[in-house]
Amino acid sequence: MRSGAYIFRKLVSAFALLIGVTFISFLLMVWFGPDLTYQSLGKNPTADQISEVRRQLGYDRPFMERYGAFLGQLATLDLGHSDSTGEPVSRLMARTLPVSLALVLPGFLIGNLLGILLGLWSAWQRGSMTDRFIMGASVAGMSLSFLVIIILLQVLLCTPWGLNLFPARGWSVDGLSAYLYYATVPTLSLVLITLGYNTRFYRSVMVEELNREHIRTALAYGKRTRAILFTHVLKNSLAPILTRLLFSIPIIVISGSLLLESYFGIPGIGKVTYDAITNGDQPVLKAVVSLTAVLFVLVQLAVDLAYRWVDPRVGPS
Amino acid sequence: MNRDPAFSRPHGPRSLMRGLFRTGAGISGFVIISGFALLAMATAAGAIGSEWWQTSAGAWQGPGAEHWFGTNRLGQDIFARAVYSTQTAFEVGILVTIASTLLGATLGGLAGWYSPGWLDESILWLKGVLDSIPFYLLIAAIAYAMQGSPWAMHLGMTAAFWTGTARLVRGEVIRLKEREFVAAARAIGLPGPLIIFRHVLPNTFNILLVQATLVFVAAIKTEVILSFLGIGTRDGISWGVMLAESSQEVLAGRFGNFLAASGFLFVLLMGFNLLSDAMQDELDIRGQTA
Amino acid sequence: MALGACGPADAPEQGERVIYRHSMDGVPGSLDPARASSVYNKFLAVNLFDTLYRYRYLARPYALAPNLALELPQVSEDGLVYTIRLKKGVRFVDDPAFPGGIGREVTAQDFIYSIQRHFDPGTLAEGAWLWQGRIVGLDDWKAAGSDYAQTVPGLRALDNHTVRVELTAPFPQFTHTLAQGYAAIVPREAVDHYGKGFSNQPVGSGPFTLASIDSARAVLLRNPNYHGDAFALDAEGFDPKRHDGLGLQQLSGRRPPFVDEVIIEFITEDASRWNALVSGDAHLIKVPAGQFDQVLEKRQPLTLKPEFTERFRYDASLESGFVYTNFNMADERIGYHPDPEQDVRNRALRCAMVKAFDWGRRNASFYSGIGRIFPGIITPGVPEFDAEANHEYVRHDLEGAKRLLARFGWNATNLPVLEYGFPASVTERQMFEQFRGFMVELGFPPERVQPLTFASFADYYRAYSNREVMLITSSWTMDYPDAENTMQLFFGLNQSPGSNSSNYSNPRFDELYRSSATLAPSEARTEMFREMNQQVIEDCASITGISRTLLFMWDRDLVMVPDRSFVGGFYLRFVDFDRAAEDQQ
Repeated sequence: MRSGAYIFRKLVSAFALLIGVTFISFLLMVWFGPDLTYQSLGKNPTADQISEVRRQLGYDRPFMERYGAFLGQLATLDLGHSDSTGEPVSRLMARTLPVSLALVLPGFLIGNLLGILLGLWSAWQRGSMTDRFIMGASVAGMSLSFLVIIILLQVLLCTPWGLNLFPARGWSVDGLSAYLYYATVPTLSLVLITLGYNTRFYRSVMVEELNREHIRTALAYGKRTRAILFTHVLKNSLAPILTRLLFSIPIIVISGSLLLESYFGIPGIGKVTYDAITNGDQPVLKAVVSLTAVLFVLVQLAVDLAYRWVDPRVGPS
Repeated sequence: MNRDPAFSRPHGPRSLMRGLFRTGAGISGFVIISGFALLAMATAAGAIGSEWWQTSAGAWQGPGAEHWFGTNRLGQDIFARAVYSTQTAFEVGILVTIASTLLGATLGGLAGWYSPGWLDESILWLKGVLDSIPFYLLIAAIAYAMQGSPWAMHLGMTAAFWTGTARLVRGEVIRLKEREFVAAARAIGLPGPLIIFRHVLPNTFNILLVQATLVFVAAIKTEVILSFLGIGTRDGISWGVMLAESSQEVLAGRFGNFLAASGFLFVLLMGFNLLSDAMQDELDIRGQTA
Repeated sequence: MALGACGPADAPEQGERVIYRHSMDGVPGSLDPARASSVYNKFLAVNLFDTLYRYRYLARPYALAPNLALELPQVSEDGLVYTIRLKKGVRFVDDPAFPGGIGREVTAQDFIYSIQRHFDPGTLAEGAWLWQGRIVGLDDWKAAGSDYAQTVPGLRALDNHTVRVELTAPFPQFTHTLAQGYAAIVPREAVDHYGKGFSNQPVGSGPFTLASIDSARAVLLRNPNYHGDAFALDAEGFDPKRHDGLGLQQLSGRRPPFVDEVIIEFITEDASRWNALVSGDAHLIKVPAGQFDQVLEKRQPLTLKPEFTERFRYDASLESGFVYTNFNMADERIGYHPDPEQDVRNRALRCAMVKAFDWGRRNASFYSGIGRIFPGIITPGVPEFDAEANHEYVRHDLEGAKRLLARFGWNATNLPVLEYGFPASVTERQMFEQFRGFMVELGFPPERVQPLTFASFADYYRAYSNREVMLITSSWTMDYPDAENTMQLFFGLNQSPGSNSSNYSNPRFDELYRSSATLAPSEARTEMFREMNQQVIEDCASITGISRTLLFMWDRDLVMVPDRSFVGGFYLRFVDFDRAAEDQQ
């Protein structure tokens, strides 16, 4: 059956992807990565103590043995304990992942929603002053560095030099009001940074749709504007929108949260992972890398399926 | 979809330029970039900003006749440092852009030509693997793995950026494969790689150009964040380092570093984005952004 | 007292939960006392676990006080045998690691186990260096495989509450080592039960227990069964001249810890820490140097601006340690050279660089001008410090430096390329740029002063432990209030990978070091230390040094005397709100 073969091929390539990701991660972050030796030594270490620590941490074992152990632990989901703090990695992830999601999802959703709306408006009014203004603002937004936005917002909203309404850092969230208190400035930063890119992308997608024959025909017949917009343009743009959304998720959750968490002192998974890389905390790295690999593969699968559902003409090549 | 270059006017470099100069955006973008490029060359030649490391003035001086943006904690002229950073930005941008474009075009071209097949599958696999490792983590890992070589940042960015270019080129090559001139080249017995590199890839030039501008922007923005994290520019000075310094200073009320670095950065990036926009409109191409 | 309160603290009312919000400028890693190397780890370790000894809260100079021990140790005539009696009835906290979940009594065997662990490679302990080669039989025990069933002759329990330690040679600082976080007492059951997780799951007998910890904060709860003795002003070293008006009298007779809960925020970013104090999210902070201008009215004497004295108290104290830049003497370009002539020329170069280094500007730019500059390696905080010493070594003398270079044939063409190492951070990079400025003034071409950046401190440490760094800037935090701790920084046998990162090797210095090592503090020993100091200065082995002045500010409603030095985490149990003031309202 064609479907069966298709699914089989997808699974094989997903597996190959997982192997590849774990191998590259192992190579970079474990084999060539920083080791914890010098952090685990006290003052005045002797050469003996150094080699002892290295042996304890397993750094002098050969490549295949270490890689094998790495894979074995991944396969059995033996996540172990963080090398820096001793916390069980599963608990660490369970604790930090929700924080990162809570931090990043509102900004992600709002940024995309606003992007779609602005893109739609701009596409509908293409060529007009509104369109040019929105496009100009988008380009300006794309020309701002994430860091600049964060610093600017922090000064304007969290310090006596500005409005001083929100905290400059922290995350003691025990209720909705506390959540709004701590999440607002990071969310605002995320929205501002992604809005420019989102608006332009959605606008171009909408413009292509609007240029299609059947839309122009509908307009010529004078069907109500809004009906056209929503029923046709959005539905047909669904494919690229979904693709973009789904592909952005793993990236946003880990990379996007890294800077926000570092800057605002939020205990989420982005910062934890970055610290793990700089410290050579391998159990944490193993867990995070496998998580993102799995996420990515799932997203690929979801996008493929979504494409097939949205446009049945698209099949296996 | 109106992406097939066959349906738009054929663009050589000269007609491309003329096309760009038709819009205000294109002109401003070009002017800004040229201005900064000249500035970068002037600093490289030592004509301007060569005193960026001098610590002779008093600390924390406000903007004035001698120091346009004032001085920083060590009494260094902020304006000179911002000007010198232009050189760093261009160095990073140019190196990363060229490296990732070459790598992406080559691998994308090979993948597209030999599609479907094991080479295509392998390159796609490699792309998938690199794409699924979170961006900053990949670069951080490379930076640490390279034990702090000054080129770690460039290598990391190249490793992350080539995939976007490759994806575009592969798509184009697959499409171009069906064209007549390719069939003709095959018919006269030209070897595959020769056809790819002498005949097919040059037709992707416009796409590569657009993508190059986007990668340049991404490279500069990435450098800023990497410098903030401490794994970016090592020797010399860059806007990223200035912004990292400023992140603490602004909360104590000192805005010189922040204003200078973000100002220069914003204008240069605007220039590139405007030019890139104008190019995309003119060539009717969409690039691959972050 | 609601969590997340913004605004000044109020003294708690009757029946309300008393919560103190502390802040730290770094994040602790492991809570296992065996890994209590960083000041943050140590702060938590001494509050969750017990050491035999601690330092008196208020006494300056710092003085030892018994903690879990009943009194200071009985030391034999020859200084080799220490007999220590433990308090009876001290219990570990309840934990599933114990049978039935009930914490058992702390015994002498627990102390012995806690020290032995440092010599078990599986612990990855960091405190072994304190006792290496000093306790009879301990190193042999390790060499024989660290079998806990074997006893160590030098670590014996005479009964359940008496410990007998036998040393290989007199070690005057031994009792001080028992006040270190490394010497805190852990129960074997918990270590076996939790394994690697023990770093995150502390089971101790200290004044506090751990409710939760993550990368942003830790929450500690009062240990209701804590054995602490009633607070006595005299025993803690109360001095009316320095401590009057702080409200410490109201603590008399009460048993610590005084607060119900401590929330420790880990705030590494300077400016965020300041904001936390002002908004009330933290009751105490170490004031970042960048904020000093905003906060200080005068520097000599140190006074706070009136708008701050309304809400806050403050205290400025010298750190117990110093910051310095070592030359890597093993590097022939700048250090020792087999050719005696070149060796002399190298020394001249080093001395010229020392003269060209402007400590005044370094102090002004990075320590707000209130750091304490001193020549050599005897820090201002120790009794051996010579306040009258000649400050020629730290005087900025550019002309003299240039003359020195000229006299020994150094010029812009033959000067070596300087490689200044530092871990990547904004401040370290700025320090490098200032250093480059000084060297350029001396006559170095700017491109001959190169930065050598490392991605993290551990990376930097590894590099200079492998002698790969030419100029090593770092700081040293003292382990005990005794100048011997800084003398060993230049002892030949401590060369890299040891703490002698300068790889200094001077036979006269080493001879003096060996002779003074077993001497108790005395005038004779001070003379020897001063001569050793002079040796380092004459060889220009290091650009040294400055002790930083730490400024603490805390809410006026709190009664405390914070310390980042030897008292360190031990003061947390004595923190309380000013209930006397509240009673008056």
